[in-house]
Amino acid sequence: MRELIEKVIPKGSGWYDAVYVSGKSTPVSFKNNRLYSLSESENSGFGVRINKDSRTGFSYTNELNNIADTAKRALAMCSFGDEENFTLPENTTVSFEPYDDAISKFNVSDEIKSAEKMIEDIKSVYPSISVDLGISSSTGTVRLINSRGVDVSYRESYYGLSVSCSYIMSDGTRIETWESRSELKPVDCSALKDVILGKIERALTIEKIDSGLYPVIFPPQAFGRLIGFIASGFSGVSVWKGVSPVAGKQGEKIFSEFFTMTDNPYLEGSPFNVPFDGEGVTVAKNFLIRNGVVETFINDLKYAERLGLSPTGNASRGYSSLPSPSFHGIAVEPGEKSFEEMISGIDRGIVAEQFIGLGQSNTITGDFSANMDLAYLVEKGKIKGRVKDCMISGNINELMKGEFTLSKDVERRGSSLLPYALFPAVNITA
Amino acid sequence: MNSKYSEAVEKGRKILESSSCDYAEIRLSSSVGTGISLSGENVDSFTIGESVAGSVRVLKNGSWGFATFNDISILERFFAGAVNSASIVSPVEKSVIARGTPVSGEYKTSYGRNFMDVTPDEKYTLLKKYNDILRGAESVQTTRAGYRDVNTNYTFMNSEGSFLSYDKLYCGISLASIAKRGSVIQPFHESISGFGGFEIVEGKDHLAEAVVKTAVDMLDAEPVPGGNYDIIVDPKLCGVFIHEAFGHMSEADFVYENPRMKDVMVLGREFGSPMLNVYDDGTMPGAGYIPFDDEGIAPRKTSLIKDGLLSGRLHSRETAGRMNEDVTGNGRAISVMKQPIVRMTNTYIENGDSTREEIFSSMDDGLYCVDVIGGQTNLEMFTFTAAYGYEVKNGKPGKMYRDIVLSGNVFNTLKNISMIGNDREMFGGLGGCGKGGQSPLPVSFGGPHMKINDILIGGKK
Repeated sequence: MRELIEKVIPKGSGWYDAVYVSGKSTPVSFKNNRLYSLSESENSGFGVRINKDSRTGFSYTNELNNIADTAKRALAMCSFGDEENFTLPENTTVSFEPYDDAISKFNVSDEIKSAEKMIEDIKSVYPSISVDLGISSSTGTVRLINSRGVDVSYRESYYGLSVSCSYIMSDGTRIETWESRSELKPVDCSALKDVILGKIERALTIEKIDSGLYPVIFPPQAFGRLIGFIASGFSGVSVWKGVSPVAGKQGEKIFSEFFTMTDNPYLEGSPFNVPFDGEGVTVAKNFLIRNGVVETFINDLKYAERLGLSPTGNASRGYSSLPSPSFHGIAVEPGEKSFEEMISGIDRGIVAEQFIGLGQSNTITGDFSANMDLAYLVEKGKIKGRVKDCMISGNINELMKGEFTLSKDVERRGSSLLPYALFPAVNITA
Repeated sequence: MNSKYSEAVEKGRKILESSSCDYAEIRLSSSVGTGISLSGENVDSFTIGESVAGSVRVLKNGSWGFATFNDISILERFFAGAVNSASIVSPVEKSVIARGTPVSGEYKTSYGRNFMDVTPDEKYTLLKKYNDILRGAESVQTTRAGYRDVNTNYTFMNSEGSFLSYDKLYCGISLASIAKRGSVIQPFHESISGFGGFEIVEGKDHLAEAVVKTAVDMLDAEPVPGGNYDIIVDPKLCGVFIHEAFGHMSEADFVYENPRMKDVMVLGREFGSPMLNVYDDGTMPGAGYIPFDDEGIAPRKTSLIKDGLLSGRLHSRETAGRMNEDVTGNGRAISVMKQPIVRMTNTYIENGDSTREEIFSSMDDGLYCVDVIGGQTNLEMFTFTAAYGYEVKNGKPGKMYRDIVLSGNVFNTLKNISMIGNDREMFGGLGGCGKGGQSPLPVSFGGPHMKINDILIGGKK
């Protein structure tokens, strides 16, 4: 790889870095309660970034015989690039690999058997239900080289399981719900069945509500989607472009003192952790918000240079794109109450699990307005039934400035680790 | 096309001739694409890249095996792998598919000016011109101007003896201005795309001018108060409305193995008033055009709702086979790396009798909802979001509003359509539709101006 690139760009005439990624996966898919397809996938690709006369060009291919041509193309693109004068790292180390040897224990036949069992168990409660289920195991390698002598690589492993159910009641009312887990190695996910069954059971009776302000609990997955709107303002890109509501507010307390949010590349068991970022910068846990105070904006080398900040090791990069800042794992510090305690304190309120159309508002400023796909009415501390054909709206930035309660229980959903969140007054339109 | 690709095509033909599967198909593609992204005074990225991809899908003893890869020189290994995957288990319930007749054809996108002959410099210069227009107001904080083109050589072949090739040219632009005043940050964005040449993206100064004006105007707009409204939708929002409110319901994979859905979606069921007619048409020019679908079936114009009654649905080979209905050419995949599933193409509400003037003059108190941010459905409830809108009093548009997220119910809202205009237009941008982890798939959507009564809008009273 290095020889081919250096034939195109002789040493000393600029810098380069290149990534090579390859991976294999074996997805199994169940549709409508039955095994639908077994797949295997094998892919790789190469992307190279070249900086000449302080300007950067980039190109990619997945045709590995074309590395030299790809480097030539990247070189030819340099004249279009912005001026960039940052320095690439020269000491990149691999402190860990997001890889677990136990991934080799993935056995398709066993997985199919446990999936069939889970579907049968769900169907035994709701015979007319339709269950889709996906299981995937994958392994891969990421290699990064650069003109300062770095040549490092790590292995990745991933095991994912997702279940989605659709249950149509006799009057046509539809309950759609899903759960998923992502891990470094095969794990027993049979408990997901109980989570799904619980959600459906709570939704079987429909309760009416009027428009108004209600206490609302967002479970971790739902809370994560809202928190994402705040997090995006902490990207160096938004800050540089002046479209972040927190730009220029480092050191200011603009949220509640009970709100602490980190970006953490070391979340336990997460397959989304990496030892170094897409440019070879060592990763770290960063406080985005500490006790309500705006602390760190995440960066890659380019935006760190532009903003005059230190790189944070947040360059994300596939083979077919330039690096850009992205989060490793968003984590919100938990509170002290259990979910049960939170709900038992509600006289009349809502638990909002799933939305339709969330994120189609002006999310830059934290606005949200969505149909409540799956939400429950809480009365006198107990879930009473489902509320539907109504909308929830508000502004997550404003909500996190005011009064709220976070649970002590946290759950990892995808790359995020989050508690349940209770807000005392959220707008519902029915 | 290089020799490696041609060799793989020939190898694929031979493998299929001697295959003993119930059904097998091989899809290969080789693409070259350019992407430019400008923001404010910066060049965020300027990329030219290439990719080669292949997939094999086989049906054996009622079970699907699928393999995807980018080393097409060892196609036979992946074909054997797919056959092996299909053979691992013997399913209790078997997949069956509708058979097709062997078809052959070579298709090529027609164009005014092939973007493959346009220099990177000219592409950059054009986009920079639009970006400068997008920046052309004092309150514009930043912009995003994107250009993308891709030329794909696509080959489809199957064990029925079909052999199809498609030299596809697709390009588009996406233009956004983000206006800011105090703590109000207001983005607005438009996108166009299609199959054809560079002419699709040339001469769009007016689009960039409209984007920057709307973004700035929206700074002064208030969020719409929540509640129930009578609304008029413009042709673009009408298109997204029908895509979300009904289009997804007509995709037969949501129906074919679900007894309760079969009851709900029985042909002849009343979904709307007699003036409502809805079609999906993959033969129509537009972002959803296909010469053949990703299962080698020719597209057609399918009537989904005729005079208010459910009249048809969209099929893949598998859903058609299961339901014993005709294939419709809607088995589509976003790339050869994904399995085909039932998808829309160009979906629209057909013109009605009312003029735009008649629709407006019929409204005493309501809301005119314009342009689109997006939409989503769970097949019973759905949302569709207007970019902005205007209060309508006594037939006249007045005060501007923003943040209009509309919500409806499939079984009620279509019946609340009270007037359908006669000015249908079609739309499709660089984004597209997402389903089953496959996004964005190029589709177009459209309709005329239309009045809908009693729609729920989220927000504070």
